[in-house]
Amino acid sequence: MKRHVVAAMAVAGLVTSLPVSAQPAGDPVRTLVLLAQPQAALPQEYQAAELIAAAWRQLGLQVQIRPLPSQQFSQIVWYERQRWDTTTWQMVGRPERSDPDELTYNLFLSANIANGYNFVGYNNPEYDRLANAQREELDVAKRKQLMIQAQELVNRDQPYGFMVHPKNVVAFNKNVWDEKSIVDQAGIGARNTWTWLSIAPLGAQRDIILNSVSTPTNLNPFNISGAQGSWAAEITWDRLMRIGTDGLPQPWSAEAVTRPDPLTVDVKLRAGMKWSDGRPITIEDAVFSLVAPGIGDKSPMYKPFVANIASVTATGTDTLRITLKKPDAAFLVSSLAKLNLAPKHVWEPIFQSLQGKPETAESVMESTPVSSGPFRMVKAKLNEEIVLEANRDHWAAPKAARWIMRIQPNTEAALGALRSGEINFLADYNGDPQILRDIAKADPKIKIAEALDMGFKFIAYNHRRPPFNSTPFRQALSASIDRELLAEDAWGGAAVPSNSWVSPALTFWHDQGIEKRVPGGNVEAAKKILKDAGFVLVNGRLHYPAGVKETTAPFQ
Amino acid sequence: MRAARAAWRFLRSEPFAFVGAAIYALIVVTAIFADKLAPHDPREILRVGRRVARYLPISPEHWLGTTSSGRDVLSQLIWGTRSALQVGLTAAIVVVAIGTLMGLLAGYLGGWVDKLITRLADIVLSMPFLPFMLVLAALTTPGTTVVVACVALLLWPNTARVIRSQVLSLRERAWVEAARVTGCSNTRIMFVHILPQVLPLAALYGSVAIGWAILAEASASFLGFGDPNTISWGVMLQEAYANQALGRGAWNWFTPPGLAIVSMVLAGFMISRGSEKLLFPKLADK
Amino acid sequence: MSRSGFLRLVAERLGFLVLTVWITTTVTFLLFRLMPGDPTLAYLSPTFNEETRTALLRSFGLDKPLWEQYLIYMGRLLQGDLGTSFLQRVPVSQLLADALPNTIILTLVALSIAYAFGIVAGAFLAFQRGRGIEGFAIPAALATRSAPEFWLGMLLLAGLAFQLGWFPTGGAVPPGSNLGGIGDRLASPEFWRHLFLPALTLVLYLQGLPLLLMRATMLEVMNDEFIVMARMKGLSRWSIVMRHAARNALLPVVTAFALGLGASVGGNVVVETVFAWPGVGRVLVQAVQGADYPVAQGAFILISVVLATMNTVADLLYAALDPRVSVGARR
Repeated sequence: MKRHVVAAMAVAGLVTSLPVSAQPAGDPVRTLVLLAQPQAALPQEYQAAELIAAAWRQLGLQVQIRPLPSQQFSQIVWYERQRWDTTTWQMVGRPERSDPDELTYNLFLSANIANGYNFVGYNNPEYDRLANAQREELDVAKRKQLMIQAQELVNRDQPYGFMVHPKNVVAFNKNVWDEKSIVDQAGIGARNTWTWLSIAPLGAQRDIILNSVSTPTNLNPFNISGAQGSWAAEITWDRLMRIGTDGLPQPWSAEAVTRPDPLTVDVKLRAGMKWSDGRPITIEDAVFSLVAPGIGDKSPMYKPFVANIASVTATGTDTLRITLKKPDAAFLVSSLAKLNLAPKHVWEPIFQSLQGKPETAESVMESTPVSSGPFRMVKAKLNEEIVLEANRDHWAAPKAARWIMRIQPNTEAALGALRSGEINFLADYNGDPQILRDIAKADPKIKIAEALDMGFKFIAYNHRRPPFNSTPFRQALSASIDRELLAEDAWGGAAVPSNSWVSPALTFWHDQGIEKRVPGGNVEAAKKILKDAGFVLVNGRLHYPAGVKETTAPFQ
Repeated sequence: MRAARAAWRFLRSEPFAFVGAAIYALIVVTAIFADKLAPHDPREILRVGRRVARYLPISPEHWLGTTSSGRDVLSQLIWGTRSALQVGLTAAIVVVAIGTLMGLLAGYLGGWVDKLITRLADIVLSMPFLPFMLVLAALTTPGTTVVVACVALLLWPNTARVIRSQVLSLRERAWVEAARVTGCSNTRIMFVHILPQVLPLAALYGSVAIGWAILAEASASFLGFGDPNTISWGVMLQEAYANQALGRGAWNWFTPPGLAIVSMVLAGFMISRGSEKLLFPKLADK
Repeated sequence: MSRSGFLRLVAERLGFLVLTVWITTTVTFLLFRLMPGDPTLAYLSPTFNEETRTALLRSFGLDKPLWEQYLIYMGRLLQGDLGTSFLQRVPVSQLLADALPNTIILTLVALSIAYAFGIVAGAFLAFQRGRGIEGFAIPAALATRSAPEFWLGMLLLAGLAFQLGWFPTGGAVPPGSNLGGIGDRLASPEFWRHLFLPALTLVLYLQGLPLLLMRATMLEVMNDEFIVMARMKGLSRWSIVMRHAARNALLPVVTAFALGLGASVGGNVVVETVFAWPGVGRVLVQAVQGADYPVAQGAFILISVVLATMNTVADLLYAALDPRVSVGARR
């Protein structure tokens, strides 16, 4: 009797120790490697990566975070598109991106997969259609509908795992500057060109002294020199139009800009403008500035923005006509408000001398740049400081005397400099916002200005490497990202959840409430999505659906 | 057994060395029992409800509070002993092995071997340590291997010099002469007769070398070239720095790892207090 | 040692210095050519095509075979041409020329104070042999030597700069100031205010060695025969110490100073980073982090050359000053 009982118990034990899901499963999913920049460089992104990796592990995935130094990071993600699984990345907010066209067109269009901004490899003809349509739709209401549809489509396909829209946190010394003279620009915040122009000194200190955590690469009108460099470039060189505080383009160096028909743009140049070397600005300068980036490959950064220009001709001493190849709803924002006015007498010879040489105009650095903006460059020691002085002859001359950007990669030192008065505008702060808030609370002279940025941070899935080519898989990954947790804990409250490349800061174009409509929306739902798609959990480890082999080598 | 008793006698006579050895013993025990001693998993992101347990102050659950990413500081500190011992011991053994070998060869064989090794040592000494480690870490994968390699490659000359001068004086002893006369080969004399005599000095030097290795790893980590996947005191300090722990006033996070490093390196110095010559090798061969 | 003997030593040492520098620069060259990461990424934009990239690589000479690059590199080096920074488009030698004075000033100031303090304290401690204060002072000195420099710096920064606000939190000069050469900097009180904390950190760290060294050699010398002789002659203890013991004990300390100077130029890397002090060490760290090869290479070579030179100076100094040698060799 006893032996039978023992045998029965043994059999029962054997049966219950078999894997619960005895259904057929494919190979286990390989260890996925999530790339990120080192923690010291971007602590919030790193922490977000850790939280996301922890969430994905709950789905049965093995995830490793690999920090890489910035150069190597960019190199691998951008130039070795077959190699990586998934990575943190961001798109920075710029005034020209106030119209979502640039990102809508560049990020997800299939034409940009090999070399362009669609580095994740998302390929959806339906999306291509929407992206092209919105670009050519001049009726604003219809265009908005197209943008909403595009966002809904991206929400369904989850080519990215969107994380957050950051808030721009800056601070300034309100004993030095009249706080009423600080201007807020939609999607950018207080640190913008309008602030630099209108900021009013209260006392003897009339220099704007701000910080930057990274070294600008170069300053010239044909080089989009990264975020910090562009702050200086934007006020040193003028452009035909500028983005106003409402995010819409307004004439600047142009007196008037009209569009008689979808393919034509007429520009009337403002009178009486001069270059910093004393010569007057002529219509030829304007024509040159619009045409030069398209010459050969001498200005690759700006070339895409003139790609749609068929011809530019001067139609009078102060007027010109631009003829476009295709209708472009965003031309004024993405091109006329972006291209710098450059002096023909300086740059035409330079472009000619560069013919046949590998260098581009981007790497040319004038010792004393000739410009026409509201500030002029006095000194540029790129790794220490950039000093601009106000251009008193400018028709919109600033109230401040000088604009001095001090390179200080050390965040603590920058905070200390703000408190001690060494800088009076904390323009570049990526640190813990709580610290800044505590400082401001303790020190009445420090005022914080927080504004939602139009940029966003996200996890990029490489569609070239399974299982990231599976839509349910991506949906599950995105569903398990707790965006509120990221905003509160990784970004310390200086961010809001994101599920679109169009930030809520762009109120007109943003698809309201889309952050709450991520398919699934939580880890439990994510597990179900995976199960429904055929993925199988075996002893806590996620496997491909039955019959599917793991053919991709793990990231080295 | 006799060696152990000699060591014990040495320790008892030198109070500094005794304290140093005691500190080391404590660290070794902590490292061995780290998994039992640490109250939490050092890598686990701890939660308070749904939120991350960031910057928690000192409390009964967290004797040293938590980091900016919700990890328990005390647990990390305890587990850090393993990495410290691993890096320290490995580097110390390698550097002392190389240095002793070089010193032995140079001191005993003399002539061109001595000249060559001494010149080589001079050249190596003109390589700046931290910059070299920085560059090497950027060239390969940052991690403890780079630290150990750099310590081994660049710091052996100090040991070599000291060993060499001791070998020089040992070489003239009567018993060495006797061994030579009876036909022992040079190799045999060096490794069987002389080496055991210099080993105590080498071992004492090793205890100092552990300290160098730990400081090197801490510096490398601080500059961002440490191994992010290990728990080490250097990485803890770098994380604290990167996350503005100072601005937050999180002294509970930032001070303990530094103190731990100080203790361990100091212990090594104190053990070697028996011989000043170890610390100032330039004096040794004058 | 005789005059001609000394000159021969100088010649030999200088010759060896040249050899050392050559080996160091070659090793540096090899190291940097093997670095991963594409240097031209520094200012490439995503819109570049393969053609433009190759053309750029060519313009930097990065497409030639290794041995050819080496010859070009050595040739340029001999002319003092260290190349041009990838990131900043200025000659590397200019960047280093700006940074080197800052490092030298910081190092000299810190070392001098550390050694002045160490010498006095060390001599004092030598007198206190056997007394209780030793049990405290010696571990304390060792402890400062055991602490990571950057950690000491951070503590000082947090306490004196952030919390108390007595000192600035980084950099060498206030923003927008137009201080030019060394003379201007040394004359500016702001510069000294910025110098204080990094120098203090270094002083704390460095003083341990001269202190212990001085004490040790003083103890040794105080037992020397001719000191005993002098005592027997009836000279007072104090004058013996000052005239004979201290002078002999100073020799190793002076040598250590020279060695320390050489080592500090490279070793200050972490302190310069913590305090954002614009010296050669910080230039190196930023260049390595930014894959700016020419700058990293140039900074590394500069640091090595200084180190090798100071090692040689220390050797010669010792040979020239050693009283035993200079006195005894006349036989």
